[in-house]
Amino acid sequence: MTQFTINGRAVSIDADEDTPLLWVIRDDIGLTGTKFGCGIGMCGACTVHVGGRATRSCITPLGAVDGAEVTTIEGLDPAGQHPVQQAWLDLQTPQCGYCQSGQIMQAAAMLKDFPAPTDQDIDATMSGNLCRCMTYVRIRAAIKQAAAAMGGQALSTSGGKS
Amino acid sequence: MLKRLLVGLLAAVVVAMVGFAAFAWRPSIGKITPPAASGFSPALVARGEVLAGAGYCSTCHTAKGGQPFAGGYPMQTGFGTIYSTNITPDAKTGIGTWSEAAFRRAMHQGVARDGSHLLPAFPYDHFTKLTDADVSALYAYMMTRPAVVAPDRRNGIAFPLNIRALQAGWKLLYFRPGRFEPDAARSAEWNRGAYLAQGVSHCGACHTPRGALGAEKRDKAFAGAAIDNWIAPALTAANPSPAPWDRAELVAYLRTGVSHYHGVAAGPMAPVVHDGLAKLPDADIRALAVYFADTDGAAGRAASLAPALQRAAAADRLNVGPQTDPSARLYTAACASCHYNGAGQPAPLRPDLALNSAVNLDDPTNLVRVVLHGVGAREGAPGVVMPAFDRLSDADIARLATYLRATRTDKPAWPNLEKKVAAIRAQGK
Amino acid sequence: MSRLPPKGEQGSFLSRRNFLVASTGAGLAFGFSALVEAAMDPAAPGGAPMAKTGPQFEPTLWFAIDGDGIVTVNIIRAEMGQHIGAALARILADELEVAWDKVRIVHVDTDPKWGLMVTGGSWSVWQTFPIFSQAGAAGRIALVEAGAKLLNVSPAGGAARDGMVHVGGRSISYGDIVKRGGVARQFTPEELAKLPIKPAADRKLIGKPGKALDIAAKTNGTAIYGIDAKVPGMVFARPKLPPTRQGSKVLSVDDGAARKVKGYLRCLTLDDPSDTVPGWVMVIAESYPAAIRAADLVKVKWAAGPGADVSEKGLQDHAAALIAKADGGALLDTKTADPAPAFKAAKSVLEQTYTAATVLHFQLEPLNALAFEKDGVMEIHTGNQWQSLILPTLAKALGRAETGIVMRTYMLGGGFGRRLNGDYAVPAALAAKALGKPVKMVLTREDDVRFDSVRSPSVQTLRMAFDGAGAITAMEHHAAAGWPTLANAPALMPKGKNGVAYDPFAISGADHWYEVGAHKVRAINNDLANSTFRPGWLRSVGPGWTNWALESFIDEAAHHLKTDPVALRLKLLTGAGANAGSDASTVGGAKRQAEVVRRAAQAAGWGQSLPKDTGLGLATSFGQERDMPTWVACAARVHVDRATGVVTVQKLTMMTDAGTIVDPDGARAQTEGAALWGLSMALHEGTAFENGQVKDVNLDTYTPLRIADTPELDIQFVDSTQVPVGLGEPATTVVAPAIANAIFNAVGVRLRHIPITPEAVRLALAAGKPA
Ligand code: FES
Ligand code: FES
Repeated sequence: MTQFTINGRAVSIDADEDTPLLWVIRDDIGLTGTKFGCGIGMCGACTVHVGGRATRSCITPLGAVDGAEVTTIEGLDPAGQHPVQQAWLDLQTPQCGYCQSGQIMQAAAMLKDFPAPTDQDIDATMSGNLCRCMTYVRIRAAIKQAAAAMGGQALSTSGGKS
Repeated sequence: MLKRLLVGLLAAVVVAMVGFAAFAWRPSIGKITPPAASGFSPALVARGEVLAGAGYCSTCHTAKGGQPFAGGYPMQTGFGTIYSTNITPDAKTGIGTWSEAAFRRAMHQGVARDGSHLLPAFPYDHFTKLTDADVSALYAYMMTRPAVVAPDRRNGIAFPLNIRALQAGWKLLYFRPGRFEPDAARSAEWNRGAYLAQGVSHCGACHTPRGALGAEKRDKAFAGAAIDNWIAPALTAANPSPAPWDRAELVAYLRTGVSHYHGVAAGPMAPVVHDGLAKLPDADIRALAVYFADTDGAAGRAASLAPALQRAAAADRLNVGPQTDPSARLYTAACASCHYNGAGQPAPLRPDLALNSAVNLDDPTNLVRVVLHGVGAREGAPGVVMPAFDRLSDADIARLATYLRATRTDKPAWPNLEKKVAAIRAQGK
Repeated sequence: MSRLPPKGEQGSFLSRRNFLVASTGAGLAFGFSALVEAAMDPAAPGGAPMAKTGPQFEPTLWFAIDGDGIVTVNIIRAEMGQHIGAALARILADELEVAWDKVRIVHVDTDPKWGLMVTGGSWSVWQTFPIFSQAGAAGRIALVEAGAKLLNVSPAGGAARDGMVHVGGRSISYGDIVKRGGVARQFTPEELAKLPIKPAADRKLIGKPGKALDIAAKTNGTAIYGIDAKVPGMVFARPKLPPTRQGSKVLSVDDGAARKVKGYLRCLTLDDPSDTVPGWVMVIAESYPAAIRAADLVKVKWAAGPGADVSEKGLQDHAAALIAKADGGALLDTKTADPAPAFKAAKSVLEQTYTAATVLHFQLEPLNALAFEKDGVMEIHTGNQWQSLILPTLAKALGRAETGIVMRTYMLGGGFGRRLNGDYAVPAALAAKALGKPVKMVLTREDDVRFDSVRSPSVQTLRMAFDGAGAITAMEHHAAAGWPTLANAPALMPKGKNGVAYDPFAISGADHWYEVGAHKVRAINNDLANSTFRPGWLRSVGPGWTNWALESFIDEAAHHLKTDPVALRLKLLTGAGANAGSDASTVGGAKRQAEVVRRAAQAAGWGQSLPKDTGLGLATSFGQERDMPTWVACAARVHVDRATGVVTVQKLTMMTDAGTIVDPDGARAQTEGAALWGLSMALHEGTAFENGQVKDVNLDTYTPLRIADTPELDIQFVDSTQVPVGLGEPATTVVAPAIANAIFNAVGVRLRHIPITPEAVRLALAAGKPA
């Protein structure tokens, strides 16, 4: 029995400890905003927050989150209005949208460490999130917009990047 | 002639065996009725609780998912699997009928109540240093735990090593009983740290290499060793981390499981910090830090920190911008989204891999294990998880490790990595 | 150039005009019950369609208005990131005169009434524009008339604006008209065709900024994709994939080890009359992780089908051998003379061969389908791009009529052409039929890749003849590749002028708009490819390789002639004769292509001096098909590191003329994505066949473009009121040749294989000979 909280709610899951957290979240808990892309920790579609940090749930064994606090895209903001989400809406960042829960969770966590991220910071921390529709230009812009909205001053040291 | 010689030889063997038996023999100490919990003073029990924590008694004496202290935890040794015993005060299956004297003899001499010799997996070679008062406190604590009925499991040690009497020989060779002797030339804090480290916390049990018969090599105290499929790094000047383990690092690490520069407590060290040392007051943690900052020669290495940080910062920037090297791409996609540094400083909760112990050790085991199995929320940094990259191939993990070793350290490449990864994977979690 | 669907199918799609009128006649009235059982409203939380209030007004099949004046537009196209519903609804709403915030979109299920359901080829806007314009206009006129009647005034001079009818000095809202009932109006096809469509200057939504309707659900986790589909009592399935894509047979299944997995139920060897998934064994479990684990432990022995030993090199060698044979393949009708005499008479001849690697779709959502029988109908819940294509196959596989099968539409976590081929619906449906309960099949990423309909590797040889004056007198383009249309929809292949059927998708782009004299275009099927795997349509399909070769070759021709490559292109894009354009879609012809070339060159600073080892290269294209040209040009600025061979793309300048831009932000997004796909295939991604399978099955070794690889993009559109054409793909085709041309300009070496690796650049530099 593994116990943790998800989006503030305590849950108790009776499944093998090595069951990937991703499937527990999607199929047992029923929150399908977290997506399955590669299953090996290299696309970021399954990114959730564990203890406030972006974590790939597809390769996180259920047992590893015992006692932890997990947040999914559904719980990032009760109204879906986290500054990152608002910037995403504003710039119409998603295309197919499949990667975007993960992108948003990664970006939201990243902004805690880099309140005013440069292009290099964004590239380095967002490179684990694949967007097959290649919405990267807008992801960069949206992160900076969110940073500005959150009070950090986005710096541009871009070396020619938009 | 020949016959006589043979008989004489046989007689000599028999005499030697009898002599050894006499030497090995220990009396049984009479059973007692389990003492009532109320008979122990709460202060004594509380002190015992701290010591039990500092000695991680529950780590080894609790099976996965089992009752605390009820035993059954498997320990892999070079001689077979040993299962820990039930040390709850249950009269039948635990130590309920042990008098304090019996308990003390076990702690100080490694002999069970019934007179049999305990296996040195039980670190009486360290506990022998405990003061009588501390042993009393531990006794009080153990005897006030809930009694659990849990018969001991048979050990998987093969004949003839399973003959308990033989343990006496081992003791003869390796065991030096006796209480801790403070070093008058050192501060009280240092001595407190040394007492804890050498005694109840038995740090050498993991961090000191052992000889062929499993005894710690005295002349190599804290020189680092392989244990439970992990590497317990050296706690001496031989520690290969680029940043020195100074007092502040040690305090942070031992107190929270997270050091600024070296990484988090993973593998067997995780419960040491989070379940064991957590019980110690800050003063004791500081004492341990003072002691180990001395054994590892941190003062003499202070100057190495700044260049190490510089190197780490430079390495951190390697993964900025387009990557074309396949290993760099693999690292950037799989690892760099967590292992980044904020504002030019290593972020303690995101271990910097240029400074990290596992990347700098001579042996890749710890790095490979952490990559394969991750670090749970109850290990490492509490509440935070490193996922388990075990769906990557052996070749992928070898590539990652090789890449990190080459770009993050100035140390030689690890040889035969792919095979090593396969072997470590086969060991399981 | 023919396209898919060919003209016949296309006709039946457009003949919905008749149906539209019929449906009007049958039920154009208030209270007309909802025709549509909607599967997906991407604007609503959880994707559930919203309840409609009050009576409905459904003047055509394509939309309804409710008592609140909310307009719901029915979209038959799959949503996979192009916000297609928003673009299409915008066309209708503009003509209907409603405010954008009153518009909802619904992605409908399969039903014969929708006719051909396909999303691909960048056709959606181009095909739907006339239909939705007319549908909107018909609705507006009917509402104005009905409003006038309700207000007791003459409809003459009445107008609609923002969901209100203004007539005779009085006004009434659409919602009120609908609520009060009594609208009845029919349009004959002839009337429809003559309805007054707004002049471009009066448009309020088309071409104006506006928000897509599917974005919010894609930022808060409520968007529902195929992989999110669920029904009570479903079991999970993961397949064991056979060693070959075709013809494998199961010899034995050993699930001894799998039985120890908690939740494992059983293995099921599929019997597939449609031969879509030969040799598949489905591992069934109570949960998906159990299915994954069990499948890892199940041991299956197969007799492999054809291709089990085929390698990438084998495929390419075979293609080269086919090209080397003078006969074979289909000749396209280029309406020019036989080039043989010109080559004979030529003063000089240039010949080069270009190759492109196998590419994976790697749409981020792995393939999946949920299937179950309900009320005698086999329901298949999944995201799919071409429902009409797979229905007959499903019918054959299941042994039931197409009317007994319905595909419910979900959002697609990426399509890029993979989900044009609905093959993944078949195993789920077969398993559901065999087990008699709902089966949700999800492929792991590795399964997905091994079951991909990859972009075939290709070989192309181009030749050009020059006369003594340096004029181009003839050109030949021979292209050999696996043919996706042969593999997936052979009935739709047209015939070449030599009577040989061919895959238009695998050659499109070679039939360019340059004036080159006698022009021979030969499309050759790499039969070894088609027997080894099922080639797929992958974003831009043929032009992904034909334009790579063509535009690299045009640059080489310019260097051969010692002229500027941009100048040569402008010289050849005369817009005369067959290249003049012939109808509304192609009006302007090659002159429009010349214009985007000129503008891209100018925007990128063509001709300026650049730092050392830095170069600018340009390539252009007409998009996908000659009769739906999207004129595009790209200038790439690259830097080459001579020591490492690393090519850094610093900037891509894209110039596009796609006629009327319906949804400017969506158009920009599509172009951004397409350009970066082009870059990804030029430098970063590509795999190879090994023993009949692709060797890279996940992101540890397959390395598509990531954010750090993303250069600055300068994307511009030509202002136009011409017929809107497609945007999803054209930009992908120009990036690779622009980069190769830029590398040549930077360091003087010519790369003729994509992806271009640092190693290839190093080798070329070491060889030391420019060109
Ligand atoms: S699905 Fe978890 S990282 Fe790709
Ligand atoms: S929006 Fe489609 S994968 Fe990112």
